[in-house]
Amino acid sequence: MLATLVTAVVSGLHGALVRVEVDVSPGLPVCHIVGLPDAALSEARERVRAAIRNAGFAYPASRITVNLAPADRRKHGAAYDLAIGVGILVASEQIRAGGGAWALLGELSLDGTLQAVPGVLPMVATLARAGQRRVGVPAANLEEARLVEGVEAVGLDGLDDAARLVAGPRGRRAMSAARRPVIGVSGLPAAGIAAPTGAAPEGRVALVSGLEPVDLREVRGQPFARWALEVALAGGHNLLMVGPPGAGKTLLARAIPGLLPPLDEDEALEVAVIASVAGLLGDGRRPGRRRPFRAPHHTASYAALVGGGPRLLPGEVTLAHRGTLFLDELAEFDRGVLDALRQPLEEGSVVISRAAGQVRYPARLQLVAAMNPCRCGYWGDPQRACCCAPGDPERYVRRVSGPLLDRLDLRVELGRVPPRELLGGPEPEASAVVAARIALARERARARNGGRLNADLSGAAALAAAESEPRARTRLAELAEAGALSARNVHRLLRVARTVADLAGAPHVDEAAILAAAGLRDPAGDRLGAADAA
Amino acid sequence: MDPSERIAWLALAAVHGVGPATFGRLVAAFGGARSVLHAASDGRLGRAAIKVETGRRLPTEVVDRILVAAAAPDAATATLERFGLWTLTPLDPAYPSRFGVLEAAPPVLYGWGDPAALEDHYAVGVVGTRRPTPAGRALAARVARHVAGRGAVVISGLAIGIDGAAHAATVEAEGRTVAVIGAGHDHPGPRAHRALLRRILARGGAVVSELAPHAPASRGTFPRRNRLLSALADAVVVVEAPSRSGAINTGHHALEQGRALFVAPGRPGDPATAGCLRLLRETPARPFVGLAELDEDLAALGIGPVRAGDRPVAAPDPLVDLGAAERSVAVAIARAPSGLERLVAATGLPPGVVGGAVTLLQLRGLARIVDGAVLPAGPLLERG
Repeated sequence: MLATLVTAVVSGLHGALVRVEVDVSPGLPVCHIVGLPDAALSEARERVRAAIRNAGFAYPASRITVNLAPADRRKHGAAYDLAIGVGILVASEQIRAGGGAWALLGELSLDGTLQAVPGVLPMVATLARAGQRRVGVPAANLEEARLVEGVEAVGLDGLDDAARLVAGPRGRRAMSAARRPVIGVSGLPAAGIAAPTGAAPEGRVALVSGLEPVDLREVRGQPFARWALEVALAGGHNLLMVGPPGAGKTLLARAIPGLLPPLDEDEALEVAVIASVAGLLGDGRRPGRRRPFRAPHHTASYAALVGGGPRLLPGEVTLAHRGTLFLDELAEFDRGVLDALRQPLEEGSVVISRAAGQVRYPARLQLVAAMNPCRCGYWGDPQRACCCAPGDPERYVRRVSGPLLDRLDLRVELGRVPPRELLGGPEPEASAVVAARIALARERARARNGGRLNADLSGAAALAAAESEPRARTRLAELAEAGALSARNVHRLLRVARTVADLAGAPHVDEAAILAAAGLRDPAGDRLGAADAA
Repeated sequence: MDPSERIAWLALAAVHGVGPATFGRLVAAFGGARSVLHAASDGRLGRAAIKVETGRRLPTEVVDRILVAAAAPDAATATLERFGLWTLTPLDPAYPSRFGVLEAAPPVLYGWGDPAALEDHYAVGVVGTRRPTPAGRALAARVARHVAGRGAVVISGLAIGIDGAAHAATVEAEGRTVAVIGAGHDHPGPRAHRALLRRILARGGAVVSELAPHAPASRGTFPRRNRLLSALADAVVVVEAPSRSGAINTGHHALEQGRALFVAPGRPGDPATAGCLRLLRETPARPFVGLAELDEDLAALGIGPVRAGDRPVAAPDPLVDLGAAERSVAVAIARAPSGLERLVAATGLPPGVVGGAVTLLQLRGLARIVDGAVLPAGPLLERG
């Protein structure tokens, strides 16, 4: 007998519908899977067989043919397991499909339970667009599946759940006889269909573990760097912090998640799709409204940062979409890897081309980077001598290529905080206060720029910002003449100045904003900027 | 001088391994550079070698190199032309008279720029560590600007750090400055100072070396260079030097050569100025306590154009047309150069205002940022 079920595949951030056809017919006991499966998928055969037996069903001793249609699409992953397994049950007439048309997604364990799979959100979205109204997914993926409107999503714990779902109330036939309870690791009987839970924990889906958020109240000293961070976050500008170890660079960066306004609805969905494809949602976590904050280690490979691998998975730049990518120890990153950041920084997306295909991932991220001034970290420190060889500090800074440095709109140098300030001094502002200012400035910018942050302003729009302030224009011309600014940097400066003005609530980019923005550009002096300052 | 003798002189001096002492002995033994080259050609140099005075033989590879130089004595001259260098030898009237104090005066001084800068009637050396504190950097600039404003040629070594600050402040004040480098002109100081070098030359200064153009810098070249640096100055100011620093060496040379030596004292126990304190303790160097006192001491020694108490007309206050915020930032950096973070703390102004004020001061030429520290520059150096 022939059974047909619907499931889906994910490629890049988009799903595609796949039909699973299972035919069980008399013949030698053998199972064929056809339809351009990859190597991992042919392992499904073994998983499905064990799962069916261990879930209390009978594995038919007949000729089984499984076809994944359309045949011209390459299929990978294990999300088809469940559809194949249920298809075999239906085709071997152990259950009757009477519960309506369900699409099934999920990977089977040998004991018949279901594993979470990546990409459930885009797959369910695709199914919904194709008119599929009911979807069964692994319970751990339920939260993301329910983000899709107009689809009834049900969380499943195992093959038997799925069988019950497909059979409907009247369709169970062979089930009761052969059924025996599945014992999980915990010794408890496996649960039934998961009840729709209201309050799954909001996932810190995008926040790298080990980098706990910090409140700005805990960051003492560094008033200038704090302000630079505020400007950077308010305008979406890229920021570089240079300073000796222990100056507070990483601490400031860790405050970023608490300073940014939450994602709006559209953004949240974009981020959730990415998190889903990257397999970050598979633990029952609800995708949240918090902006992504990614902090890859400096040993990260090209594929880890930009994306790629045999499955063309998204990299850190995409995981940081609509959020922040924090690169600590910037100069320690591999040069080739860093230069690959230029495309996403410029275009807001990244194209990964491999033999396996081509994918474009979104990557509209804000880059925040930190580095030591030299290898030992104490170049320019008034108290502690730098122990690098002459010329080494210059070489160290040159590890970061000029074009990348150029894209870091704001550059601040952090000095060490004197102990006096660490122990006493004024109570620093809390994150909530700063976050409110940032949110207000972002609102102002968005309202004026048609939804865009100042960092995304076109050159012409940036120039127009200072139009009505003759003194600001004079200052700008002076700065350009002093050799501090190239044509491109004039635009960058104006974008930053626009943000400074937004933070101050000023309607126009005035003289003070221009000067303040220029003060955020230079700091590292002769080594990062002008070649000769003696 | 006989032109062919001069050519031979330049060729012999350019031979790697022939330093000032060897050069002097060879020329004395054979009666002229041309004779040395002749002697090399007909084998007498190798046999006789030179047992004069020291009894040591000239290494054979040096003899061989002299032989090569003798075969084409014009090659050295051609190289000089390619580098656009002028040369001065002790046989030339323009050879720096201040080199008279040297035991082994360089047989040839190679240079770019104006050789007259070496014979100016008033020259002050400003030297110090390659890794200065912001305060040290600012002090070097202040001293250089001050003496340059009183007509002195500022002598230093074109190294990064204090040397660079002294040269830069001098050219900024439109003064003349001479850089004595520790390598041939093919490697004129650190790469980061190429633009500074051009500005030194554009302001009528000079860049000189006793080494032939292709000679590389090595362990010994910088200490040997220091003796020329101090010799070219009437007085030397050591601004900031840790216990192991070339500036200490320069200070000792200055005293041996009878130059006035001033040393900026530091705080006891501070490694950045440990060398300065040792110089003050172990030598008759005078402590540098202020620019007015420096003028007074120099006048008492008869150095420089200014008589004691004779002050030039006071320059207009550089802060006069600044706003309140810029003024307080300017006062803060003149008092204690520091990073932006410290300036925010010192002035109590919002970070954005401080950043803007520093930008404006930079535009006015009153401040510059080096290695994260905001330093006073230009007329602002004359305050504080």
